[in-house]
Amino acid sequence: MEYTREIYWNVGHGATTLVPMYLLSLAAVAILVYAFLQRVKIYKQGQKLDRTDQLPLRVTMMVKKVLLQSKVLNVRGPGLAHALFFWGFFLLFLGTCLIVLQADFTDLFFGVKFLQGSFYLFFSLTLDIAGLVAIVMLTGLLIRRFIVRPAGLENSKDDVIMHGLLLAILISGFIIEGARMAVTEMGTPLAAWSPVGLWVAKALSSMGEPAVRGLHSNLWWLHLLMVIVFIAIIPFTKFRHIFTTSANYLFTDLGPKGLIPTIDMEDEEAESFGAATVTDMTWKDIFDADACTSCKRCQDRCPAWATDKPLSPMKMVQQIGEIAFTDPAASLPETIEKDVLWACTTCRACQEICPANIEHVNKIIDMRRNLVLMEGEFPGEEVMTAMENTEVNGNPLGLAFASRGDWAEGLPVVSLGQSTDVDILYFVGCYASFDKRNQAIAKAFVQLCDAAGVRVGILGKEEKCCGEPMRKMGNEYLYQMLASENIEQIKGYGITQIVTTCPHCFNTLNKDYRDLGLDVTVSHYTEYLAELLEQGRLNLTPQSFDCTYHDSCYLGRYNDIYQAPRTLLAAAGAQLTEMEKHGTESFCCSAGGGRILADENIGTRISEKRAQMAAETGAPTLISNCPFCLTMFEDGVKGADLDEQLQPKDLAEILVERISG
Amino acid sequence: MKILLVAEYRDGKLLGTNSELINFATQMGGENCMFLVGSDSTLPNYTGKLYLADAGQAGEFNPSLHKQLLLNVIEKEQPQMVVLAHSSYGWDLAPRLALALKAAQISEVVEVKDGNLVVPSCNAKLRRQVKATTDIAVVTLQGGAFTPAEEPSGAPEVIKVEVAAAGSDIQFAGYEEAEAGGVDLSKAEIIVSAGRGIGKPENLEMIENLAKALKGEYGASRPVVDAEWADPSRQVGTTGQTVTPKLYVACGISGAIQHLAGMKKSEFVLAINTDKDAPIGEIADVLAVADLKQLVPILTEKLNAM
Amino acid sequence: MKILVCIKQVPDMESKFKVNTTGNWYDYTDLAWRMNEYDEYAVEQAVQLKQQVGEADLTVLCIGSDRVRETMKKALAMGCDRGAHIADDESYLKDSYAIASLIVSYAKDKGFDLIFTGMQSQDRGSGQVGVLVAEMLGIPSLTTLVEFNYADGTVTAKRELEGGIKAKVSCATPALVTCQLGLNTPRYPTLPNIMKAKKKELISTPAAELNPEASLLEVLQVAPPEKKGGGLVLEGDPADLADQLIKILKEKTTALA
Repeated sequence: MEYTREIYWNVGHGATTLVPMYLLSLAAVAILVYAFLQRVKIYKQGQKLDRTDQLPLRVTMMVKKVLLQSKVLNVRGPGLAHALFFWGFFLLFLGTCLIVLQADFTDLFFGVKFLQGSFYLFFSLTLDIAGLVAIVMLTGLLIRRFIVRPAGLENSKDDVIMHGLLLAILISGFIIEGARMAVTEMGTPLAAWSPVGLWVAKALSSMGEPAVRGLHSNLWWLHLLMVIVFIAIIPFTKFRHIFTTSANYLFTDLGPKGLIPTIDMEDEEAESFGAATVTDMTWKDIFDADACTSCKRCQDRCPAWATDKPLSPMKMVQQIGEIAFTDPAASLPETIEKDVLWACTTCRACQEICPANIEHVNKIIDMRRNLVLMEGEFPGEEVMTAMENTEVNGNPLGLAFASRGDWAEGLPVVSLGQSTDVDILYFVGCYASFDKRNQAIAKAFVQLCDAAGVRVGILGKEEKCCGEPMRKMGNEYLYQMLASENIEQIKGYGITQIVTTCPHCFNTLNKDYRDLGLDVTVSHYTEYLAELLEQGRLNLTPQSFDCTYHDSCYLGRYNDIYQAPRTLLAAAGAQLTEMEKHGTESFCCSAGGGRILADENIGTRISEKRAQMAAETGAPTLISNCPFCLTMFEDGVKGADLDEQLQPKDLAEILVERISG
Repeated sequence: MKILLVAEYRDGKLLGTNSELINFATQMGGENCMFLVGSDSTLPNYTGKLYLADAGQAGEFNPSLHKQLLLNVIEKEQPQMVVLAHSSYGWDLAPRLALALKAAQISEVVEVKDGNLVVPSCNAKLRRQVKATTDIAVVTLQGGAFTPAEEPSGAPEVIKVEVAAAGSDIQFAGYEEAEAGGVDLSKAEIIVSAGRGIGKPENLEMIENLAKALKGEYGASRPVVDAEWADPSRQVGTTGQTVTPKLYVACGISGAIQHLAGMKKSEFVLAINTDKDAPIGEIADVLAVADLKQLVPILTEKLNAM
Repeated sequence: MKILVCIKQVPDMESKFKVNTTGNWYDYTDLAWRMNEYDEYAVEQAVQLKQQVGEADLTVLCIGSDRVRETMKKALAMGCDRGAHIADDESYLKDSYAIASLIVSYAKDKGFDLIFTGMQSQDRGSGQVGVLVAEMLGIPSLTTLVEFNYADGTVTAKRELEGGIKAKVSCATPALVTCQLGLNTPRYPTLPNIMKAKKKELISTPAAELNPEASLLEVLQVAPPEKKGGGLVLEGDPADLADQLIKILKEKTTALA
């Protein structure tokens, strides 16, 4: 027999089928387009932002991410379910397109049919499996959402409609197929190639042909109507994420991770700084709310949320969308609440996991900028004091700038003011310079460099805070002042390579400072030492020890440096037991986002929570490589009463004990 | 040389600094006499001439009137030096007096060296030796810098000072007591602080007892406050209170930089810690390497027995 | 209403101080400079008063070298309208009396209703200038204020006394007040105000033009205090240690007085 089927069987080929079908489709699409255009007006309330550069690259990224569902799959369980559902539905969609293509175009005008032969067999089987998978996955997701009810997953009318409508469309599709097969394909070899339809057909076998035909044509029109409704309500429901989330892949931030827009301080026209209302934000900030599907993956990973602080990244993003649509003149800090804004540690766990490419962090910083620059407000007086200390002495601790380089006395380090005959500038940072516990890291690093024959120079008292905590708190002005002064010093000495022991300094000098004119190689010491190790310039004698390792946010998520520290640990003889939350899933120590300057007054302590996670591995040593993390863990370990069983250490301290020879 | 001492009386009581004035005058040698706006029912232990004006008539706080009364006494006694305590009364009155006398004023003397007066500068990081170029000088003494080994004794020869009713350009409407609860450590002169080394909240009591024995306040480092063993108003550090006491006793405090920043300006730091290398040792004048749970109670006992 | 606030630029107290070559003050190298902390409260209170009254002009005055203009800009950014810089590269050589005479020379014909100063400077700490200025101008002065209120030509305030006690005082304007720490919370300048401050009037007048009085005090010597035999580490039996500590406290501090 011929492997094909009659398109429009039983419902009619003529105008009585096609005209209403196309008119309805046209109407649905018109509603879809019109409604989206109305939404575009709302997005446009925001400031301009160019996210259409490098278009071919953007399109490729979008297509890949949408089709491969790579971001969705970052969370295995529900992610896989969604991906399979998506692929199923997508295949069904392609299948329908092919049918329309043939029926209303190639066959109609050119008499060309391609849905036949072995292609048709493959086509039938694929779509049946696709449909079955889609139904199974959708049912699984429905059970998860409505019966299992994971904590924090809120259900709205949208969710009920979406699950119900899609299931109805899919199931009705199979019944239609089954009805058709019951009349046209029973007992043919073709039937086996549509196993689900065959099963349905068998179930309908007790009905007589006229009844089956009646069922078929009614359900066909119902199916059509449901699809029309589906298309039309896309912009009005979470269904819109089909377009908005995909578009968000197109509009992704192609810049280095974590880069914040640098305010032009020379602009005399600027009357307002930071975001006080949604119109101060960019169109993308408003659009992000539309791309959000409330999957809550961000909220699940937010260290503030996990310790009873009022910050939910998801809620914050959605609130921006809400007021953009209902009350664009509303005050952002009052709507979102200041405690929420100050609670963020900019750890980026939200952004890293978000399957919709939403940019949470910069919105918060933008709102903080408004509070700091326009109102002179901070989360507490202690932060204002830290800012003033930095203005006076170039460090938030308020210690005399002239003693910044004192830690290096007697060590193989030179002050650049005395000699520029060095291989690298070691940008020490405030904590390693002044804090006793962290000075040990600076000393260790210098000794490691010395062992590798690297000549190290420091700016000493000419070094100022890199400005990162200030910038993340919203004080762009102070940050730029510090940065320009540091850059002037660095350029003045003709430095070509900078190494830091602090990931915040590293991230800031390597990314933020480029906007202000720094054009020098910058590395974090873990990468630098790993390279020296590989080159054979640094030799370590391993001494076995048990430990767990904390991926600091600014090294890990911000800079994707996960391997170099582990290579060094292995070379040191570490028996490493990973925490459950490691790598991209690492849980912040709480000091980022400028919060190293602030008191933690709400909820429980993030650092204690992380210390407990480390203790659960059973390892006696918690290794990190960030002065903020080390400081937080020293407090957190004591606070969690774990100081008998867990000791925080920096990687440099471990390595320096293992220098060969 | 003749010195006129200006004693203080407030709310029915003589101030303790009066004995320091007497001690200073004794150290300087020569003659001395005293002026006081006070009450003849509360006379200072002083064996010289006391010019006494009644506080009920003159008012306890009335700078221009007190100045005028003093000027009258100064005219009579012709001292070379008029000495007050560097107190809220003294530093307010002294410049008024100095200008009226066209005299140099030397504030907050801490020491007499080779006959010259020494005052602190820059948070006591430096000391200046100064000399008045005028015939008469007004001097204020830092509280606690001239504490006598023994309290003076004796009764003064009282000379009543007439108070002519005169208007004042400043109106004084009485005192307001300190607020209950929420201690202001920034004004405390002696502080004994508890760090994580106390181990359990129950051990905070021994810290409080030591503080009481030293007649000071107790404070705490951040971890102790965070653990809710002590009230937040007790916290010393960058995010707590910054303190400048004469004596700071850090018990079981390692000396993290945030804590140091809050108490670095202490004049004398005694640290009690089992860790010989604790960072607090960098700024401590004395580091007693011991278990505070043993040392603190013994120290308290001995102090109370004194 | 015309308001004046007098501020001083001092080194940050965290700095390590060394005596200068002349031996009469501290050396200026490697010092971080800032507004005298007490003056921050004075500026804040003056700005608050200006905001309360509405129709008011607030001048900030500072004596010193050109370096002090930076600190004056902060006062302007906090809300002062204009700056009067009295240029004197060696202001440290003038004692409180001479400094006060400079301020009086500037202020006396300008009809200020209220003058704010900090109660003392962090470097010299004499605590005299404020009251001297008031006495020279013949206006009442209230010192050591931790609370300030103004209404209808009257200042009602609270002075901070020892032991946490406060004294309630008041006087009529024109008057001068000296401010104690904790009087208010000095504001952090907003960026628009920082930018505006760059354009506000800041006039420098050489000190000599104001005919200051000569100093009444002579500085004989400046030196760091004698070492207390710092950094003593004691170990041993707790009872012995306790005895040693008590002895040290008696000798080295006034704590057991």
